[in-house]
Amino acid sequence: MGLVEDLAADLGPDRVRPGGPDDAIGGRVPQAVAEPLSPAAVALVLARAGRDGLAVRVRGGGTKQAWSAPPARLDVVLSTRALHRLVDHAPGDMTCVAEAGMPLAALQVAISDVTTHRQRLMLDPPGGAGATLGGVLATAAAGPRRVRYGTPRDLVIGARYVTGDGLAAKTGGRVVKNVAGYDVAKLLIGSHGSLAVITEVALKLHPLPDAARTVVLREPDPDRAAAFCDAVRGAPVTPALVEAAWPEGLVLVRVESTAEGAAAQVERLRDLGPIQELDEPAADALAADLAGRAWAGTGPVLAVGVVPDRLPGLLRAAAAAGATLVVRAPVCAGELGLPDDDPERAARVVGAVRALGGSVQLRRGGEALRALVHDEPGPAVRRLEAALKDGLDPHGVLAGAAR
Amino acid sequence: MAATQTTDRLGTLAERARAIVGPVWVLSDPAQLRTYECDGLTNQRERPGLVVLPATTDEVAAVVRACHELGVPFVARGAGSGLSGGAMPRAEGVVIGLARMREILAVDLPNRRVTVQPGVTNLAITEAVAPHGFYYAPDPSSQQVCTIGGNLAENAGGAHCLKYGFTVNHALAATVVLADGAVAELGSAAPDAPGLDLLGVLIGSEGTCGIVTEAVVGILPRPQHVETLVAFFDTVEEGGETVSEIISAGILPAAVEMMDRLAIEAARAVTHMDWDAESALIVELDGPESEVRSQFEAVARICSAHHAREVRVAASPAERAAIWTARKSAFAAAGRLAPAYRVQDGVIPRTRLPEVLRGIAELSERYGLRVANVFHAGDGNLHPLVLYDSAVPEEVQQSEELAMAIVALCVEFGGSITGEHGVGTEKACSMPKMFDGDDLTAFDRVRGAFDPDGLCNPDKLLPTPRLCGEVPGFHRVHPVERAGLGDRL
Ligand SMILES: Cc1cc2nc3c(=O)[nH]c(=O)nc-3n(C[C@H](O)[C@H](O)[C@H](O)COP(=O)(O)OP(=O)(O)OC[C@H]3O[C@@H](n4cnc5c(N)ncnc54)[C@H](O)[C@@H]3O)c2cc1C
Repeated sequence: MGLVEDLAADLGPDRVRPGGPDDAIGGRVPQAVAEPLSPAAVALVLARAGRDGLAVRVRGGGTKQAWSAPPARLDVVLSTRALHRLVDHAPGDMTCVAEAGMPLAALQVAISDVTTHRQRLMLDPPGGAGATLGGVLATAAAGPRRVRYGTPRDLVIGARYVTGDGLAAKTGGRVVKNVAGYDVAKLLIGSHGSLAVITEVALKLHPLPDAARTVVLREPDPDRAAAFCDAVRGAPVTPALVEAAWPEGLVLVRVESTAEGAAAQVERLRDLGPIQELDEPAADALAADLAGRAWAGTGPVLAVGVVPDRLPGLLRAAAAAGATLVVRAPVCAGELGLPDDDPERAARVVGAVRALGGSVQLRRGGEALRALVHDEPGPAVRRLEAALKDGLDPHGVLAGAAR
Repeated sequence: MAATQTTDRLGTLAERARAIVGPVWVLSDPAQLRTYECDGLTNQRERPGLVVLPATTDEVAAVVRACHELGVPFVARGAGSGLSGGAMPRAEGVVIGLARMREILAVDLPNRRVTVQPGVTNLAITEAVAPHGFYYAPDPSSQQVCTIGGNLAENAGGAHCLKYGFTVNHALAATVVLADGAVAELGSAAPDAPGLDLLGVLIGSEGTCGIVTEAVVGILPRPQHVETLVAFFDTVEEGGETVSEIISAGILPAAVEMMDRLAIEAARAVTHMDWDAESALIVELDGPESEVRSQFEAVARICSAHHAREVRVAASPAERAAIWTARKSAFAAAGRLAPAYRVQDGVIPRTRLPEVLRGIAELSERYGLRVANVFHAGDGNLHPLVLYDSAVPEEVQQSEELAMAIVALCVEFGGSITGEHGVGTEKACSMPKMFDGDDLTAFDRVRGAFDPDGLCNPDKLLPTPRLCGEVPGFHRVHPVERAGLGDRL
């Protein structure tokens, strides 16, 4: 019997189909695509993979497969698409639980019934509507709002997952404060599907603010622009976005608060530099443009981060490389889009960020660039990462890589 | 035979430790060892075989390497203020005390971070940066004594973690001596470093993933404006409902704390205050002035709408401090109400507060023991204090059963057995209430990746046969299997 038939016997015929060119990851077409309906079914797929020595790659929306290394082998794509239910929403507790295959966009719609409660999951990763909760977690993807609300590690309060050898386990819970047991969710976030299949996620929600006001500063000098960002960080304002875009020399700040609070904060920002306020449509359009700007071309995209006092250096490095950079200024993490595939240009910018003590990860680009960006950890960390992989995926069936 | 072996090993270890840290920093005198018998959970004690007090990362690493080579279990100890037995030693094991490592190594204001040794107290970080207008956000009530190493190990929280999060949201990097004595740098200076979030899983691992010998933590600018009120209610339920209503209104206070009549009485016994109500709700807002002012008015309105008998607004920093003194003294003051008490640390979804408080009152009646409630209401983290007389054996037994029944009630309502004190030895046998065999097996594999030989603070956090008997469905991986030398299948 072939693999598709074997899996169909395990899961039911409508849950499995042969892989096609659209299912390829890193140029490899899987033999089969499985779409399990439950964590138990996920465990069946992984158990078979363990027995038969198959390589399995998890797919959520399929929007960020390129963020981690392509699989060396690929037999089964395990799609989480059928795991898409909202399991629980407790508006008064500001928490929700959803299956991992639920698209982030669908979750936001499901939890924001404006007539009864105004709340949201404050995650806005790049990549559009298709991204699933599981994929967002597995890639630790975060967007502009991380400035105020943090990244998945700050917003996930629990998870269910299936280990590579088929244990269906949970970590954390549904309450916002909880220290019982190891926080395995921290390991799954950013694991790129290398340790386990995330099947369910419990999340902390936040209230939607009453009012938002948006201002921009145009400042072509990197030192002065960085000084403005630093002043914003120290001022009594509560920005949800602080986006510095280079080489344009633009800083967008959106404050969100009560109506009175937002108005007062705009006045405070006026003390910090010659800002201009934007009306709402213009503000939304610019914010959306900035969020996707590093991706707008066709060249490689890097995620970069530095400590705050290195921000001027980062802005200069981007300008020198002819790159498009958008940085979430207070945390100094951002995305950098290169105009073309010129390896020398890429090497220069990677070198410059590293010289600033910064971090670099590949978001889009070829394998040569991935090799250049690869950051080999010290022996102790390497051993720990390998031991965790062995512990949670002892038969090595999950074809994902955390670096 | 086994006993002699243990003595020999400890003897060898003591010799090696003296060479590493210097003879005065190795304690083996029984009288000295007694200080290290327990942490804040004083009803569980064990005298350690040896105490070693290293001064540097290298010394910690060398001592741990020696333990590893000799197969001697070890446990890190900060201030010993833990409330779940996390720092309790084993008789045949070693305490590695970090009290000598209490230097603030670097204050980096432009990058908003401080680098400290593990024995630095939580409050010392805030004190070091306060003159510059900054503070370290996690504020456990024990902040004057507890250490940053202990805070990382327990993922400590505090009254203000409702808005600002826990230790894990503020720790950026750490130097860690692993179970075999290797030194690892976890986390990173810059954001978004590649690789697994090893620091994230180490935080809250209760000293079972290694010994933190240096930590980098973030600091925040002091909020521009703070407003604090205390509202008094005629029932506990009304106080609880008010909490839900504030959160549902889209307001995220810096802190929401609650005390019931008994806790208020306790606090009154040790402070000069005139509070008198079935429940007192403390709400603090901080942030930009105009935002705080408008939201504070809304909070006061919500309190009144829920029949608050009185709403008192702190008119000065001194009045604010008095409110917090009342809250923070309630714990220690419980000693005035009864000869002994047990603290529990269960968490519930905050909307269930009224029901759970009613449930606790019913349990209290059924067991015939008083329970004082003083807790972090905003995030549903209860601290019921079960009062009893330690001289009456039945009460000792009953109080333990009552405490466990409260924990079970929290889990029944979809909550957790612990919000900030940790599992330790105290709640290890309660873990199966929340987690099934597969959950525990996966936890054990994570632990095994950090500590394959089971020497780093064993018998904590997870149920072990030694503590709890066999747990159905929980397969502890034997070190032989872990080393790939055998397989269960
Ligand atoms: C009155 C009182 C109030 C409290 N209030 C709060 C509160 O509001 N919030 C809260 O979260 N907790 C609270 N606690 C609990 C306690 O203070 C915290 O758990 C604290 O983090 C423990 O720190 P410590 O230095 O005393 O650690 P210890 O008690 O010495 O050790 C605790 C655990 O940490 C491990 N450990 C210690 N140092 C290290 C290190 N360097 N590396 C690795 N592991 C280490 C130990 O092995 C042990 O498992 C309170 C305790 C008391 C007594």
